[in-house]
Amino acid sequence: MRDTRAEFVEFYEANKDACLRAVAVSVADRDLAEELVGEAFARAWTRWPRIRGHPAPAAWVVRVALNTRVSWWRRRRREVPLGEHDAWSNDLTLDLDLDIAAALLRLPRRQREVVALRVLLDLDTETTARILGIAPGTVTGHLARATSVLRRQLLSPEHITEVTP
Amino acid sequence: MISDTDLEHKVRASVSDLHMRIPVEAILDNARRRRRSRRIMLSATAVVGCAAVALAAIGLTATHETARTAKAQLAAFTLSGGPGGSASLTLHKGAQYRLDPDALRRALAEHGIPALVTVGTSCDTNPEPDGLDRVVTASRQSSGDVFITINPGAIPAGAELSIGYFSSHTRYSLIEQKAPKTCSA
Repeated sequence: MRDTRAEFVEFYEANKDACLRAVAVSVADRDLAEELVGEAFARAWTRWPRIRGHPAPAAWVVRVALNTRVSWWRRRRREVPLGEHDAWSNDLTLDLDLDIAAALLRLPRRQREVVALRVLLDLDTETTARILGIAPGTVTGHLARATSVLRRQLLSPEHITEVTP
Repeated sequence: MISDTDLEHKVRASVSDLHMRIPVEAILDNARRRRRSRRIMLSATAVVGCAAVALAAIGLTATHETARTAKAQLAAFTLSGGPGGSASLTLHKGAQYRLDPDALRRALAEHGIPALVTVGTSCDTNPEPDGLDRVVTASRQSSGDVFITINPGAIPAGAELSIGYFSSHTRYSLIEQKAPKTCSA
């Protein structure tokens, strides 16, 4: 039987970045996303015998991270912000100097979450719907609107290479 | 026209520079603290039914933790007196630090600061006394250390400071000493 700690470490190393990217795009704040994902992985380890049998453990981590964000938000006014790292920010602070990322962050929150789960975490529509607590058709609708906006962004004049005759 | 596949590729590429900086050891350490915090809460619940046995158990646990802290972990806080009766508390964060909540509570009490200190969880009461901003001023350094100035004179009568210590952040609130407490991670 494999060592469970080694198994969890392997799971963490294989999925940490994908989970971070999915949550970072959802909450539009890199540092907050890292805290949330760290907390979620810690909870996964405390429940590892059960989580290891989950059909999509990385999706479980992302769901816990997003749920934790909601509970932190509810508690927010009772907390004393501790500088940049601890402050809750509504600003978009991913620090990615790419137009597509900027366009991604300008999407409505729910559309960002759908893109994060469907594209970055490569989840299917049903799993995404379960995680977000919405109908599969709503997931499809949000994804279609989001991709439409992103596609327009990529087709904007600055993304078209000028060809000189 | 950009295909769905190309678009998805570009979206993935746009965030490919994001990487988790938290080492797995810190995750495991956080989980250990969560487990221990839960065990301590269970022990506290047992006090209601069997005070003497539970007190003995908590005493043994505390002794064990203190011994282990001394051997393997660095103290997670420093506390000193400041101007005007204030106290300056520094909380260190990182896998190498382990906070002994009872030691911090005792140290704060010596500076006239009644406090409830918890690790991996934080506690509130309803109602919550006003005036937290007058009691606590906090800032975080680039090293990750948190510097906190506490003004015990501003703590309302019958209230105490609740400090919830987490690996990545710290929560504060004022709580009623005699009111039922709600604690959560």
